[in-house]
Amino acid sequence: MPEIRLGEHLPNLRADHRPPHPSWLPRQRRGTTAQMIGRYPDYDVMENASSWDRATREVVEARLRPPSRMRFFGPSEEPTMRALCDTLLAQDRDPKVPVSEMVDSDLAEGKEDGFRYADMPPDETTWRLVLAGMDGLARRADWPDFAAASEPLREEVVGRFAAAELAAETLGGLNPERAFLVCMRWVLSAFYSHPWAWNEIGFGGPAYPRGYMRMSGVGLLEPHERPGATSEDPVGLAREWDE
Amino acid sequence: MKRRLLRGSLAPPENDSRSLLDAQRRDLPGEATMRRYRDDDEVDVCVVGAGAGGSVLAQRLARRGWSVVVLEAGPFWHPDRDWVSDEAGSHHLYWTERRVIGGTDPVELGKNNSGRGVGGSMVHFAGYVPRFHPSDFCTRTLDGVGADWPLRYPELAAHYERVELELPVAGQHWPWGDPHDYPHAPHPVSQAAQVVWRGAERLGIRMRVGPVAIVNGTFGNRPHCIYRGFCLQGCKVGAKASPLVTHLPDALAHGAEIRADCMASRVVLDSSGRASGVSYFARGELAERRQRARLVALACYSIETPRLLLNSAAPGFPGGLCNNEDQVGRYVMVQGATQSAGRFPDELRMYKGPPPEVSSEDFYETDPGRGFARGFSIQTVSPLPIGWAEHVAAEGHWGRGLREYMRDYNHWTTVGVLNEFLPQAENRVTLADDRDAHGLPVARFDHGLGENDRANQEYSGRIARHILEAAGAQDVLTIRRYAHLIGGARMGTAPDHSVVDRWQRTWAVENLYIADGSVCPTQGSANPALTIMALASRLAEHLAGRPPAA
Ligand SMILES: Cc1cc2nc3c(=O)[nH]c(=O)nc-3n(C[C@H](O)[C@H](O)[C@H](O)COP(=O)(O)OP(=O)(O)OC[C@H]3O[C@@H](n4cnc5c(N)ncnc54)[C@H](O)[C@@H]3O)c2cc1C
Ligand code: SF4
Repeated sequence: MPEIRLGEHLPNLRADHRPPHPSWLPRQRRGTTAQMIGRYPDYDVMENASSWDRATREVVEARLRPPSRMRFFGPSEEPTMRALCDTLLAQDRDPKVPVSEMVDSDLAEGKEDGFRYADMPPDETTWRLVLAGMDGLARRADWPDFAAASEPLREEVVGRFAAAELAAETLGGLNPERAFLVCMRWVLSAFYSHPWAWNEIGFGGPAYPRGYMRMSGVGLLEPHERPGATSEDPVGLAREWDE
Repeated sequence: MKRRLLRGSLAPPENDSRSLLDAQRRDLPGEATMRRYRDDDEVDVCVVGAGAGGSVLAQRLARRGWSVVVLEAGPFWHPDRDWVSDEAGSHHLYWTERRVIGGTDPVELGKNNSGRGVGGSMVHFAGYVPRFHPSDFCTRTLDGVGADWPLRYPELAAHYERVELELPVAGQHWPWGDPHDYPHAPHPVSQAAQVVWRGAERLGIRMRVGPVAIVNGTFGNRPHCIYRGFCLQGCKVGAKASPLVTHLPDALAHGAEIRADCMASRVVLDSSGRASGVSYFARGELAERRQRARLVALACYSIETPRLLLNSAAPGFPGGLCNNEDQVGRYVMVQGATQSAGRFPDELRMYKGPPPEVSSEDFYETDPGRGFARGFSIQTVSPLPIGWAEHVAAEGHWGRGLREYMRDYNHWTTVGVLNEFLPQAENRVTLADDRDAHGLPVARFDHGLGENDRANQEYSGRIARHILEAAGAQDVLTIRRYAHLIGGARMGTAPDHSVVDRWQRTWAVENLYIADGSVCPTQGSANPALTIMALASRLAEHLAGRPPAA
């Protein structure tokens, strides 16, 4: 098990520059996290919801409701979208933050981020071309489509996408580097807006009207914060990964 | 010029906003009883844009008895209802309508640098409010780069002091530039920022707490900061300054009208070539309307002010209003804003406390030994989870590696730099082929870095990393980015190189003024809001003819 204080779990500090298998992580004991793993097993941000102002609480609680059906992506795109989002975020088992539905609903509502690169189409088009590109690459490796492809193949394709190693033709002519950033911008802002992700990383969540009291002094916690797991903590590692 | 202020006790002259605020509700007081003008009332001034510059100008002129209408494209905020303590939920605060970005180093817009709504970009600005240095006003003379302003620091100093009282600004004594004190005492320093301070200290880099536009003490009905860390999502508390709490309450109390949800489409000229008003689209109405005015002041910021001028082509101005010398939209600048995060054994929980904490201007001016002209400042920042995810992803992490770094969030602290990038004529706003919902061409912003800019960016990035390493960081992650906008309709001494004169009056139209960040010829490495407000304050005094009774 990596020593947390030393940061032995951080890719840059490891000999192979790869993260450890997530089975080293404690299982969530309170509340929910994506895949029920996290570094704050006894922390559930939703337990603080009664201290939030109403407008904020409504926005956050809405994210916990069952996602609506996809409207922007068609039936043939849907499985590809799910598989791509799962791979980008390593959501390899339930429970999952419904990132594809969250992105779909924003795209369906015409949400924009305020800019478009001169050499890129609007984000809606980028998404569709990327999904078609992922399916095309899977087919080249003799899978019916991206969603049906093996996990190693999906990871390899996305890894090349991330490293800007895909040719523009595979993505319908898109600038591959920019296309990857567009996808990441959308999926990251969906995933890390979800309270399950906040539990996983120990983020305090909304803080109004209560605010914080213990500002100055390393390691000081508020009464409603919970300390992170330490490497000595033997309880409840997510062992079933190996089972 | 140096004046010692008594902490937390001095009131600003001629601005009652702080006492007009309601102690329990965050709505802008006076909205319901606000004076309303008709389109064909010829008001003394029509200001376009209710942001940093436009709001100060409106407040000052209303106070002197001018009839004022402010057209604002975005909504009239009701913070208790409209703002949330949440990153993704704050999307609507930003200018998210499409703009096209290009050039060799395109600048992403939207949440990173432009706001929309009553209060403008300061609604979600971080809150750092340093002054420009005296050297910023004459970099051409001093350093042979950039441009000289048609005014010098001493002309702005009294307005800096006045706006610092109005915001009000909290911080330690400031040793850089023109040394000065702040009206409010420094806020306590968060755990995460203390670590940065320690690293800087070990390298002999001086750090100071602040300066931030966040109340720290008694100030009318403005509440104290509760250290909740959501300054960039709009301060629901009201502790952080934005025109919504600092200038617009007083403007409304003196008869100004803020007409929200009204997108200006064109400045209208009469047959003699004077501005006679502004055409605009009110939300929900199809027909274009027109507000008549004796004087027009544009305050839409560095992208939208040039766009509005270019969209206002008229007989005599075929390529856009005030653009016969091809100067409109040129010399738009951003600051390099690389952020480096360091990893530490203990939990630092950088989400606690305002993102702006401590800063240094030790590297602000030119040092020939560094191999480039001008410099940079250093400021702590503290990304929330989505911002942190963008930071991690910038180093190429995705999937499991990204999740691993994300889970480590609480062990990191972040320090940013602000590089003074130099003005270049080709970094400019033009009109794109894309159109907005009203059929108006949207702005295109092309941007590229020069050699000096890159050298500055490289050097400052190394300093940020050294600070973190000196503090004992075990791992460092860096994201290269840009922040702030300035320029696009700069002031100068002649129309062949500028759009406005030293009093921010356009060379081409005698009763058309520009009152936002687009008039600045250089940007220093200070955040721009305070300077934009001070310039608007100076402009108002010039237009209305007398300084306030202090
Ligand atoms: C995330 C973020 C952090 C920042 N942090 C800092 C900081 O720490 N310190 C600092 O000094 N600065 C900071 N800034 C920058 C600062 O907020 C701006 O420099 C400043 O507010 C610009 O003032 P302005 O008056 O020029 O324009 P703005 O304040 O942007 O106001 C322009 C207004 O005009 C309106 N408008 C535009 N076009 C039209 C039109 N056609 N018709 C009607 N209305 C229109 C807009 O909706 C907007 O409300 C930050 C900005 C952002 C986005
Ligand atoms: S940290 Fe302070 S200033 Fe910033 S949003 Fe919270 S209360 Fe407002």
